[in-house]
Amino acid sequence: MTKFDKTLDAEIQRLPQRREPERDLWRGIELSLHSKDSKVQNKEENSVAQVSIAPWLAMAASIMLVSVIWIYSPAFTSGEGDSDSTKLTGINSEQPGSRQANPPQSTPKQSKLAGYALVDALSQQQNEQMTALLASYDKTPELSENWQAQLEELDDAAGVIRAALKDDPSNRALLKMLQHVYQQQITLIERVHAPKWQQI
Amino acid sequence: MERTLAQVTNLTTDDKSQSEASVILAAQQGDKVAYKTLYHTHVGRVYALCFRLTGDRGLAEDATQEVFIQLWSKLDRFDGQSQFSTWLHSVSANVTVSYLRKQRNWVQRMFNIESSPAMDMPAAADSSQIDLEALVVRLPQRARMVFVLHAIEGYRHEEIATMLDMAVGTSKAQFHRAKQLLKTWMGCEDDEI
Repeated sequence: MTKFDKTLDAEIQRLPQRREPERDLWRGIELSLHSKDSKVQNKEENSVAQVSIAPWLAMAASIMLVSVIWIYSPAFTSGEGDSDSTKLTGINSEQPGSRQANPPQSTPKQSKLAGYALVDALSQQQNEQMTALLASYDKTPELSENWQAQLEELDDAAGVIRAALKDDPSNRALLKMLQHVYQQQITLIERVHAPKWQQI
Repeated sequence: MERTLAQVTNLTTDDKSQSEASVILAAQQGDKVAYKTLYHTHVGRVYALCFRLTGDRGLAEDATQEVFIQLWSKLDRFDGQSQFSTWLHSVSANVTVSYLRKQRNWVQRMFNIESSPAMDMPAAADSSQIDLEALVVRLPQRARMVFVLHAIEGYRHEEIATMLDMAVGTSKAQFHRAKQLLKTWMGCEDDEI
């Protein structure tokens, strides 16, 4: 045993067993567990429902998703910097006359929560649309074997973006990224289950 | 069940293990309050392991969350035959390794990053005041993971090879590489005793 090995062993023994994270991790864990519970519940409900209504559910989900995006469309199409959060939450402090049309003034925390409601709505619609799509393709042969792993990776990516949106719910770039990832998930499911002649 | 963490930490060792057993049982039955208590009791050790394995604070935080998210669905596999902390440590190591693998694939695909440049940075070697944790974090990823799992966590090279999907010889080579880098950074001589 060399002197270095002894020094190294001594240093390893001195390493602290615990190290506290710098931010509260429980909230994210709790949200994820809640989301998982909802997914399981949705899955159970969907398995009871008849497969024939699945395409209609997919259409309804798409319409609702488009509606949500349309309602909040100013946030995606115009405006700069600080005005994003006012557009998303409907709060405009610069024009007193417009207060009647907008919701009452709220604290920054409430604004964040209101902003994140859009992310929640998008995510919920995505879940519903994917569940409906998967149910409709239940008996369709899959053209790729590892598509579920790809779907999980996209899900992870969406999770990372959602986590970032928690701190900055009106960030347009993040919202666009989230939408893009969600769209990729839908495209992946459709491509994997599309008949071979459509692939040519 | 509704005991706070402070109350739990004031109990004797026997009481503690009994209390933890009842908390685990409640969490296994779906009690999220009990699960939160388990989280607060063990997050420090889990995060320490994740931090050493990932070498990055942000990744370690995400990996810690992943551990506790996956643990929720794995809890019923804990049969009480071993210490909960030992079992949790093993679950944490496996989840973190697989999390890192997925993360690396995704990041590499998106940004085509091969490896961290941290190892190329010059070491501030000062053998009188060694911060091993800081040095471990600077190791290249594979060498760091092997070093943490073997030297700090006590896994055998055969187990590490399975966990990291590599040959046993590769695990040993990576461990040797990690030790050589640490030796250089710590400014140690190669004297036999």
